[in-house]
Amino acid sequence: MNKLWVKLFAISLLVVVLISGCTSNNTGNDKGNANAGKEADGQKNTAASDTDTTKPATWIADRKIKGLVFMGTDDYTEDMNPEVKAKIKELTGVDFEIQIMKADHSIDGLVAGLASGDLPDFIAFYLNNSGRPEMPVVLKAAREGMFTDLAPLMKDTKVYSKYLQDGFLPLDTQFGVMFRPEFNGSAYFAHMNINREGGYTGGVPLIGGPFIRKDIAEALNVDPRTITTTDQLYDLAKKIKAGNFKDKNGKDVTPIGPGYWGGHEIGRLFQDLEWGADDQRIMQSKDGQILHEAETPYALKRVDFVKKLLSEKLLQPEFFTMDESRATEGALNGSWAIIADMHSMQDFEQDGHYLPLGPLNNVDSPYQMKVDFKSGYSAWAIPTTTENPEDIMKFADFLASRTGKLLWKYGLEGRDYTLDADGNPLVKQEVIDLKAKDPNEAKKLGFDGVGNSWGNILGSTDNDNTADFGEDQWGDKLNQGKSKGAKVIADYWNWADKRKNAEVIDAYTPTSFLGEFANGTELKAAFDNYNDSLVQAYYSKSEDDAKKILDNALKQLRAAGLDDYLKLVGQKNADPKTKVKF
Amino acid sequence: MEPSTLPMPKLKHHASTLWKRILLHRYLYLMLLPCIAFFIIFAYIPMGGLLLAFKEYKFNKGILGSPWVGLQYFKTFFNSYQSTELIKNTLIISGMKLFIYLPFPIILALMFNEIRSRWFKNVSQSILYLPHFLSWVVVVGLIQRILAPDTGLFNQVVADMGGDGSTFFMMEPKYFYQIMFGSHLWKSIGWDSIIYMAAISGINPDMYEAAKIDGAGKLREIWSITIPSIMPTIVILFILSLGNILSAGFDQIYLLRTPGNMQLSDILDTYIIRMGLQSGQYGYATAVGMMQGLIGLVLVVIANRISRRVSETSLW
Repeated sequence: MNKLWVKLFAISLLVVVLISGCTSNNTGNDKGNANAGKEADGQKNTAASDTDTTKPATWIADRKIKGLVFMGTDDYTEDMNPEVKAKIKELTGVDFEIQIMKADHSIDGLVAGLASGDLPDFIAFYLNNSGRPEMPVVLKAAREGMFTDLAPLMKDTKVYSKYLQDGFLPLDTQFGVMFRPEFNGSAYFAHMNINREGGYTGGVPLIGGPFIRKDIAEALNVDPRTITTTDQLYDLAKKIKAGNFKDKNGKDVTPIGPGYWGGHEIGRLFQDLEWGADDQRIMQSKDGQILHEAETPYALKRVDFVKKLLSEKLLQPEFFTMDESRATEGALNGSWAIIADMHSMQDFEQDGHYLPLGPLNNVDSPYQMKVDFKSGYSAWAIPTTTENPEDIMKFADFLASRTGKLLWKYGLEGRDYTLDADGNPLVKQEVIDLKAKDPNEAKKLGFDGVGNSWGNILGSTDNDNTADFGEDQWGDKLNQGKSKGAKVIADYWNWADKRKNAEVIDAYTPTSFLGEFANGTELKAAFDNYNDSLVQAYYSKSEDDAKKILDNALKQLRAAGLDDYLKLVGQKNADPKTKVKF
Repeated sequence: MEPSTLPMPKLKHHASTLWKRILLHRYLYLMLLPCIAFFIIFAYIPMGGLLLAFKEYKFNKGILGSPWVGLQYFKTFFNSYQSTELIKNTLIISGMKLFIYLPFPIILALMFNEIRSRWFKNVSQSILYLPHFLSWVVVVGLIQRILAPDTGLFNQVVADMGGDGSTFFMMEPKYFYQIMFGSHLWKSIGWDSIIYMAAISGINPDMYEAAKIDGAGKLREIWSITIPSIMPTIVILFILSLGNILSAGFDQIYLLRTPGNMQLSDILDTYIIRMGLQSGQYGYATAVGMMQGLIGLVLVVIANRISRRVSETSLW
């Protein structure tokens, strides 16, 4: 019996091996044929796009393009509207899909995604400038051959080819992010949100920084624009406290509350005691020395000032640590007489019940508006594993063109907008009404104007809305009420005058060179430690304790190579290609 | 020749009886399979990643293809100005959780064991187990609100009693250990007492009967019967937790960390996350993580050996 089973098993095994052997060859052939077919299809498509007149001029390829986005869902959306998707398919042949990788910090997702090695057709990530923490990570990936060189692909494009023209890109984007000298003309990331014109600041300007409750300023007979020093801020806070003002719930207001988005250090509130921007803390003194704030007396001066505010209960005790929900709740309830940081475009502010405070003077000079020549915001890259990377570039170029932008900014013609006599979009009133009434439902229409931001990822560059669409923001022509509050605030703040006298800057931030500094990681950790030490010093019991804390932080900075780094910043600043903004 | 051939039949016999025994208990072994598979997939295969501690990880080359760097990361860590403080902080926090915390769940289990009302026992056990199921994000959120300066419940009670209600407990280093230990105790004590409860319920009731006849009171019963009976469980759990001596509990400490208490709350786990995930230095972070594991392993082996000699209770 056993022998019979063995024989049966052996025979069936032989049959299986024979069949699978033949099938394997066939499969190989099939694969080969399939590939040949794919290539033939590709050729057919290309040929079709060349010869078939039924295909639109925007046709790219009949394929799927999938992107993985390492940015927050607050900023970008992965749920696309089916009709919009169908329109993209009709115009380009592309079945576009994005996926947002959710992570506590977007950089954690990016690092994990890159390490996994399993990347789709393109990836996108935050990258305001070359000093952003994402930069060393993507730079490492680029150096290790993870990304496709975009420079040759850009040559044949309509919009992205501008990136290859002299003077189009800001300095940091050109030499710090994209065409780094080490890459010898290659570029591995496309930096996004580059304005067409330098110094462009758009239609209704956004005013950001500290704001004060209008009723309180009026009751105290104070013009918030005259508050230009921290001493004046202190006096104002004392007056507010003495005034016994109440919030919406009838509780005492806190004179100075945290920023709308949560507790953290806010430079613009203590501007005349801040050495450099609060995310940099490096500045050149008037005699040309480049110093870190820890090496100046301003750190201790600010600590004294904050301690004074805290001890006199003029500053919310959790100013530097409060979570966003509580900070926002306080702002909406009017619990903070002064909101340390907010901006004029926020919905709750459209009645102008908060007024901008200051601006405060700089540490060594009166206030002067500074405008970036151009500035980037995010970036994307094509992994080397992507087939036909030129399709991705063509698709990005389509989204960056006026036709593409019209689609992802304004939606579908007829459904969401009509064209006026100049060929510019005129948003339908019912869409504006829907957005005001039910923003979530409006978002499902699937374009940027209603808050569905999928197109910005590849398409938001070479921006000049006024030139392209006759209005700076979606719906401005019809939606007169929307940014009315912001406009009133801008006029109140004398934005136009300040803009006229503004300094237009095209330069690197001082921390942009950490990636190429040998001790960059250690120094970055020491910079973070300094920021934490400052907050620790604000809450220390005595001035001596505060001094000790700051001295320790400075020791760590020096141990991590601060002096050498400041020398490097000086050398970079001397090179016209790498000017530094302080 | 003879001596070498002699043991063979014995070995064969032994193997065949082992196989027979396995066959006899085949269903038990079958039930063991998923557990073995779990450990192979989730514990042993990932150990291959430890290679990274000796390699400079390249995105395009993967773990195996990346170049070797030897012990470079270990040297970097020990040369770093942060290493001493990180190790010190980790040892203090995990030491508190290991040694000071140890008697608390045992005492709770002993107390539960003495409760006679079944209803009260069930309710109190459920209340004490509940915090275990809350995530640290929720627990730390609660602590932040309760201890908030001026507006927090605790400070308001202090202010009502005439004290200073503006203490920012989370920002002051001197309160960090109390907050850390208190929250750990609150969250873990109920759940951790279960295993001691199980050990206590396994004690032969005849022993208590005999003790009662001998005139022993409650305290004497606990001291002379309950504690010695559950001692092997206590020792084994203690030895096992020694393995985590350099892991002080990432989530809790990461969330409790503020600029004010950072000199006490920066530990190896938070450092690994900062270096590994946020700075993309996988090799370095793996080396530090590996060091944690190795020190834990050595401590477990030593403690096990000592325990075997002293109390005849050991893991193996």
